[in-house]
Amino acid sequence: MKFLSILLCALIFSGCSKERNFDERELHLISLEKFAGFDPIQVSDRYSGNETGKVYEGLFEFHPFKRPYILVPNLAESLPTVSADGLVYTFKLKKGVVFHDSPCFKDGKGRELRADDVLYSIRRLADPKLQAKGWWLIDDKISGLNEWRTKYASLDHSNYEEAIDGLKKIDELTVQITLKKPFPQFLYALAMPYTFIVPKEAVDHFGKEFLNHPVGTGPFILEKFEQSNEIVYHKNPTFREKFYPTEGAEGDDKLGLLADAGKRLPLVDKITVHIMPESQTQWLSFQKGKADLLELKSMYERAVDKSKELHQELKSKGIRLFMDPMLDVTFYAFNHENPFFKNRKVRQAISLAYNRAENNKLFYNNSALEAQGVIPPGLGGYRKEFKNPYTKFDIDQAKRLLREAGYPDGKGFPEITIETRSETSARQSIEYFAKCMEKIGIVVKAGINTWPELVKKVSTKQHQMYTMAWGADYPDAENFLGLVYCPNQSPGSNGANYCNPDFDALFKQATILQDSPERSAFYEKMNEMVSLDVPWVFGFHRTEFYVAQAWLKNFKQMEFNHTQFQYLGVDLEVKKELSKKF
Amino acid sequence: MKNHSLWRDAFGRLFQDKWAVASFIIVIAYSLVAILSAMGLIAYDWAREVGGSNLPPSAEHYFGTDIFGRDVLSKVIRGTQIAMSVGLATSLIAIPIGVILGAFAGYFGGWVDDLITWLYTTFSSIPNIMLLISITMILGKGLFAVYVALGATSWVNLCRLIRGEVMKHKEREYVQAAGAIGGGHFRKLFKHILPNVTHIIIINTSLQFQIAIKSEVILSYLGLGVQGEPSWGTMIDDAKLELSRGVWWQLAGATLAMFVIVLAFNLLGDALRDSLDPKLKGK
Amino acid sequence: MTKYIIRRLLYMIPVLMGVSLIIFILFNLVAGDPSAVLLGKNATARQMLEMKEQLGLNKSHFAQYVDILKSAFTFDFGRSWATKQQITYMIKQGAYPSLCLTIPAFIISTILSLIIALVVAFYRGKGIDLFIRFVCIAGMSISALAYILGFQYFFAFKLGWFEISGFEYGFPNFVPYVALPGIIWILLSLGPDVRFFRTIILDEVYQDYVRTARAKGLSEMTILLKHVLRNAMIPIITYVVIQIPYLILGALLLESFFGIPGLGGITLNALNSSDFPVIKAMAILSSVIYIIFSLISDILYTVADPRVKLK
Repeated sequence: MKFLSILLCALIFSGCSKERNFDERELHLISLEKFAGFDPIQVSDRYSGNETGKVYEGLFEFHPFKRPYILVPNLAESLPTVSADGLVYTFKLKKGVVFHDSPCFKDGKGRELRADDVLYSIRRLADPKLQAKGWWLIDDKISGLNEWRTKYASLDHSNYEEAIDGLKKIDELTVQITLKKPFPQFLYALAMPYTFIVPKEAVDHFGKEFLNHPVGTGPFILEKFEQSNEIVYHKNPTFREKFYPTEGAEGDDKLGLLADAGKRLPLVDKITVHIMPESQTQWLSFQKGKADLLELKSMYERAVDKSKELHQELKSKGIRLFMDPMLDVTFYAFNHENPFFKNRKVRQAISLAYNRAENNKLFYNNSALEAQGVIPPGLGGYRKEFKNPYTKFDIDQAKRLLREAGYPDGKGFPEITIETRSETSARQSIEYFAKCMEKIGIVVKAGINTWPELVKKVSTKQHQMYTMAWGADYPDAENFLGLVYCPNQSPGSNGANYCNPDFDALFKQATILQDSPERSAFYEKMNEMVSLDVPWVFGFHRTEFYVAQAWLKNFKQMEFNHTQFQYLGVDLEVKKELSKKF
Repeated sequence: MKNHSLWRDAFGRLFQDKWAVASFIIVIAYSLVAILSAMGLIAYDWAREVGGSNLPPSAEHYFGTDIFGRDVLSKVIRGTQIAMSVGLATSLIAIPIGVILGAFAGYFGGWVDDLITWLYTTFSSIPNIMLLISITMILGKGLFAVYVALGATSWVNLCRLIRGEVMKHKEREYVQAAGAIGGGHFRKLFKHILPNVTHIIIINTSLQFQIAIKSEVILSYLGLGVQGEPSWGTMIDDAKLELSRGVWWQLAGATLAMFVIVLAFNLLGDALRDSLDPKLKGK
Repeated sequence: MTKYIIRRLLYMIPVLMGVSLIIFILFNLVAGDPSAVLLGKNATARQMLEMKEQLGLNKSHFAQYVDILKSAFTFDFGRSWATKQQITYMIKQGAYPSLCLTIPAFIISTILSLIIALVVAFYRGKGIDLFIRFVCIAGMSISALAYILGFQYFFAFKLGWFEISGFEYGFPNFVPYVALPGIIWILLSLGPDVRFFRTIILDEVYQDYVRTARAKGLSEMTILLKHVLRNAMIPIITYVVIQIPYLILGALLLESFFGIPGLGGITLNALNSSDFPVIKAMAILSSVIYIIFSLISDILYTVADPRVKLK
């Protein structure tokens, strides 16, 4: 019995939560999802991108403060020179960039970054033996690369020594890449995690364990990686001289975002990322001051009152709320191969019967923007004035159109299953959609799937409808317009299997244009044209909410935020001061 | 027969137990609610909007309303129907399988016993929750999948118990005697042995019923349960997001409804065991 | 005895074959096609085909079954499709946090329920018996989800007594993290444990030797603690040992809510992402553990009670 009482006491009294540390320049972050490992070519979601981006770097990055997003050189010395036909890109690399120290190098010292590393990293992305998640990005883009991939698809090993015309080393610090056809998004591709630069030595040395032993050039070095618990990084002591930007967007100055201008990066010595998939746990931890920053996914109501202000209790702790429109669109896509949805009037009727305003109130606290078309605001091609006549809420017109389509009051129309993910909010939003459709006599059921099941159903065209949100891979509306481009149909990103020859013709022309007002006008035309055809029931462009503690410095919301963490700082005075309140 | 008075004794004892009677009444009441709801007599309009979104409990809506302004009490009633149907269907699947396999294994022994023992050892060595989730995923989710998954996992225990009990009875005099006067195997098994192990089935069912209800809630919570109908599990899942807004009534309604019936089955199961299990007779 | 153990160990072979068969039937039919997940949202058709081939999903069904069997006997499970990690490494990593949570909780709940069961048996039929039994049963009738949501909010957040989520390796660092889920575990298992132990103890109480002891004038307390408990120990030990496999496998919901990186969480994730190799590994692992511990429990049974002869 004595043993029992000792154990009980140990449990109950040492159960007090641990003291927080207030004297280290350390960031505490929360990752909402698990992370599969540090192999850039497999990093397809933003949470993985955030981790990879602490260790690895690409040739370019998005400016952390300027909006709209612009590319600035990162490992590249400057923006590349491009040949007149837009096909040959010549990149100069920064001098004196070294990889992290690692046993994979001779004598364990990180060596300097070379042109070969860039070419090697691009080849890895194409290697058929690795089946990179990012292959689509450069598929059919770089001269000779697809041939190389095809050649080795059926052989045991891919030969990295074999010459590829599109990938050339000019000198130790100069790379030349030749494209097959104009690809204006190419530079964006070089800022994405897929093309982060990895050294061949590390890949060879660690083999399959490479994903647990990242060796990059980035501002942080991985110290501890526990997949379902926490990831710890410390500052890279050999990080090159990189400085905090001196310019930002308008008003950033006033927000204090430029106070650290000119300081050497990174600003913190250590980062701990806590992996927390459960929303209740995330929120409670943040409120306890255990995390400096939290993305409020489904829990923003907890933080915000009716007027979209932070709750007083949180304000008194100095917590700040950030809300910014996301580059995304949610939609209920029809499967256009289903004969019932071939009829445009049916699609329009369904769209008209969907009460977006009410949905916005119920699920987004009125924070989302009703989508009129495919392209979200913030990208060239979005026109604020454009109102899609079929996204208003008009039951009478919906009923009329449905009657005209031959299904008066929904008679003769089959029961529709909308496939979705199994999260609570996804299920509830279909329940709401079903309620709306009930009014025009169409019966809607929710098909609940795990993510793999959903992907499989859509990619094998087994769905009637499905719902999803699409987030931008890079800041170019092409990434959204491609969702309704016929050649992208299942298993590609056009899960609606929507085909419109007129649109496709425009798409082909537009996507080889460089970013320009003309191209934006082109995009606008395409967006509006396709919207009127109602390929999907358009949903929303959502707002993203973050809460940050008072002591977190320099946070600005960023859609492509893999490199953001080196700019973040911690105000220890403030933290110490406020710690009493937690 | 001796058997007869045994049962009368047992039920006599059972009805002296106030708790057991109360539990029994609760079970009957829940069953009635479930039947009435299944017949479409009550809570048929659970999906109707009866008021504003997330109204707190009031005289009009005892459990308040949910996010779409639906009456939470109606949803709880509808959930009762789902929960009771899951318990019932599970029993209907598990009892025949468990009893028949268990009886055969215990009675015939030899390779039949080996085979059946192998089957249930195999089933019981895979964690239940894993089997449950896998089966519901494969059968495309929904209520049917839940029935099958729970049925397929809950026969094991009953089978093991019946097997042991039948083995014991097989050697008893009355069975030997029945054999002597020329009863066939099946006659011996079904006419003589099985009636003597019925109490095991009853006790097991009462306990299995509440396990099925609890499992359904977990499965629905994981998004694998009933689709498009309110279940206590989906209500608790909803509540996870709503609690922070101070909307506690949906969680409370579902938890309370579940608590009462699970408690009733537990108490009843205990009482049944106490009164039916002759070993504990002298209490 | 040795013969018996060998025979039982050999019995693992058909059981493992059965487990592999069930796992094969279930997971080669699971709706999710992992090649889609592994390749992300922009996968091309050609890539999916290549991926299927690399994963061995194009092989004949028999060959796929043989693959599962092979891994069941060699314990080489390969790599997870979703996390890319070596599965044996994942299991090693996950077992520790799971055990940190389950073992103390299990020990406490077992001892506590035994004490309660003895008290209840001592006062059998009296008010206190009814009351304690009612509380235990009521406790196990509340949904685990309600416990988790409520306790995490109230004790960890409002009162700040415990860590809300996470885990640290090493004693005593892990204690604050596992304390609250441990308490929930105890509350949930107290009911069934007390009920079982009470039945076992009462079974003994009506045996002849108790009557004899009573006739000898021994006090009820002495009889309970000295004679009844000793005799009841056999079924109790069996009951305890047979539960050990579930300790190793961890607690699914508790782990995922409290951010404990244990095997329960790994299993749940694998199921959600159609991570076939991990599910396979967990099922095989658990059945091996299960068989071993049921063997141990049988052996203990004979050691404790020489009357029981092993065939």
